[in-house]
Amino acid sequence: MSDAVMIPRPAGHATRWIGATLVATVLVFSLIGPLAVPGDPFAQSLMKALSGPEPGAPLGYDHLGRSIFHRLAHALRLSPAIAIAAVLSAGLAGLVLGTVAAARGGWTDRILTTLADALLALPGLLLVLIVLAILPGTAFGFWAGLSLVLWVEFFRLTRAATREVLVSPAVQATRLLGFGPIYIFRTHIWPEIAPMMLTAAAFGTATAIMAIAALGFVHVGMRAPTPELGLMMVELLPYWREAPMALLSPVIATFALLLSLTLLAGSRET
Amino acid sequence: MTLLNAEDITVSQGGTPILHPVSLHLEPGEPLVILGETGSGKSLLAQAIMGTLPRDLTARGRVALGDHLLDAARPNGFRPLWGRQIAVLPQEPWLSLDPLMRASGQVAEAHRLVRGLGKGEARAQATSDLDRLGLSGAGARYPHELSGGMAQRVAIAAARAGGARVVIADEPTKGLDAARRDEVADLLLAELARGGGLLVITHDLALARRVGGRMIVLREGRVVETGATASVMGAPTQAYTRDLIAADPENWALRTPAAPGAPVLTATGLAADRGGARLFSGLSFDLAEGRILGVTGPSGCGKSTLGDVVLGLLRASEGRVDKAKGLTATAFQKLYQDPVAAFPRHRTLEPTLLDVARRHGQSQARIDALMPRLGLAPVLLTRRPDAVSGGELQRLALLRLLLVRPKFIFADEPTSRLDPITQKQVIDLLCDMAETEGCAIMLVSHDPALVARTADHVLSLGPDAANVDVTPPRVARALQ
Repeated sequence: MSDAVMIPRPAGHATRWIGATLVATVLVFSLIGPLAVPGDPFAQSLMKALSGPEPGAPLGYDHLGRSIFHRLAHALRLSPAIAIAAVLSAGLAGLVLGTVAAARGGWTDRILTTLADALLALPGLLLVLIVLAILPGTAFGFWAGLSLVLWVEFFRLTRAATREVLVSPAVQATRLLGFGPIYIFRTHIWPEIAPMMLTAAAFGTATAIMAIAALGFVHVGMRAPTPELGLMMVELLPYWREAPMALLSPVIATFALLLSLTLLAGSRET
Repeated sequence: MTLLNAEDITVSQGGTPILHPVSLHLEPGEPLVILGETGSGKSLLAQAIMGTLPRDLTARGRVALGDHLLDAARPNGFRPLWGRQIAVLPQEPWLSLDPLMRASGQVAEAHRLVRGLGKGEARAQATSDLDRLGLSGAGARYPHELSGGMAQRVAIAAARAGGARVVIADEPTKGLDAARRDEVADLLLAELARGGGLLVITHDLALARRVGGRMIVLREGRVVETGATASVMGAPTQAYTRDLIAADPENWALRTPAAPGAPVLTATGLAADRGGARLFSGLSFDLAEGRILGVTGPSGCGKSTLGDVVLGLLRASEGRVDKAKGLTATAFQKLYQDPVAAFPRHRTLEPTLLDVARRHGQSQARIDALMPRLGLAPVLLTRRPDAVSGGELQRLALLRLLLVRPKFIFADEPTSRLDPITQKQVIDLLCDMAETEGCAIMLVSHDPALVARTADHVLSLGPDAANVDVTPPRVARALQ
């Protein structure tokens, strides 16, 4: 028993529930919404430009007469999909490389750590932009660029925690008892880092969605007419006086998505 | 005149009593020892008498300190008496001294602020206190320049500076080896001889024996036995006290050495360094099945390092360890000082043990058969390591080793965190393993009595004189 004072966290559960509910709401909207109200996010009807809600378009129309409801649903599938794909590949790479660096030590560790530190010194958005310029296909470019930015955090977390676990008497005992590295990873390392990895994944997803929206907003991310959160905001910005709800829809959706992920990540005690 | 008289002291936590009524009195010149295991409530009793209980605990009872009458339920009343009437000798004093202040300054500060002397007078008084305790000339040193024993004396001088006649020493020998333990006891008795009361709280039987006076034995918050220390320890009337005293390594029966079996390992001319300093050198010994090699020495002398070198976990700076031919890689095992740290902490014990059994070609049935042999209840397997007591977990660690059928076990202070009765159980099981499993054991302990009564031969490591014992010819002779 330690003398550490346990800080009661009654808010932890509530926070997690609010976060989970918000994520679920956004998911339901983007996946089921277009099934409930069929429509095309790309179909234009200039007659209806900036007009209000109607049964076929519950959130009204944008400046080109496209249904905001359907564009938003589409955007809310695109950004999270790229973000989750990037987090998955970055997490896997970080986990593998971090464990290898901690277990091997020596030159392997030094080279990987230097590489991670070098990447950390570059602004993340700049790195994504460079990759976007090199690779063909915007979604693929985003995935690759974001993976390249995000793996560093997973790598550093895994390496730090694994190093600590590997020198513990528990791991020494397990080795003496004749178990191999895979068993040690499964019983000692993974249970220790899993909660941290999940938190980092939630934060990483939020960061990635934010990055995609930010680059879309300055017209260097997704290209029109693809519906994307940042792009939708900047397209509707000139019409804020005529159609404030049209502009607010993507803003609220982005805010809800980022807030829910941050709540989920922050509620975990690590 | 009675210095301290406490009547019907009880302590409870949220309505649940955790210390049942205890009364005690302290006479000048006669020490009182409160003896008990961890969790017996002995420290709570002292805290209730001093008014320093944690907030969530409530005390009841009356305390008479000199001519002050106090209510244990109102701890604020005790505060003005701290340092003036009643003083506490801190556990591990070298940690409680101010590291940035010279020794004499720490004592003078207490004279000035607690007793209210003037600056010059306080300084003169501090110097004379330190002289009296044999610390002449050490007053200008900082705590890190003092040896452990000197720091302890400075702490005593500071604690007594306020003029308190009653001194409470809570586990004063925690973390000390045998030589230092006697030094502390003598120091406390010397202070007592100047007139005053001494209350010693301990689980250390050797300290209790040396302090003498009267004794209260506590168990689970209740008084088990009281009386003169010599008579309680010489002829205990209660079964628990008898067990407690029998569990003291000093009172263990000598182990009958088993006939040595096939050789397990030979170490030749081992040496190891740590941080550039040589820990030991020229160590040679061999070990056969069924034999126990005891290793003793003060902390930091390289006992654990030696074991890790033999296990192959560390590389020796010089010399070599030859394992007998035909032994598998898992024939060499280790028993850890802190069993909680030696198990995967996120799993319950059952899957952990099952994995070990399976890895070594054994079944659940073998675990089930070993559990009662080690006195373990099956329900323990459903818990995580941190939810099992230290003694039980150390036995589970032994069970884990039995599944491997090792030929050599390095037991690194396996009982230093256990209370005496549990310590005896674990050491008995270890000796039993050596005999029945034909296992060579290297037992490290800081307690020479324990090693002397358990081991077939003893290596004492340590600086200076003790190192003479470990020169190869002498060890070789001892092994024959």
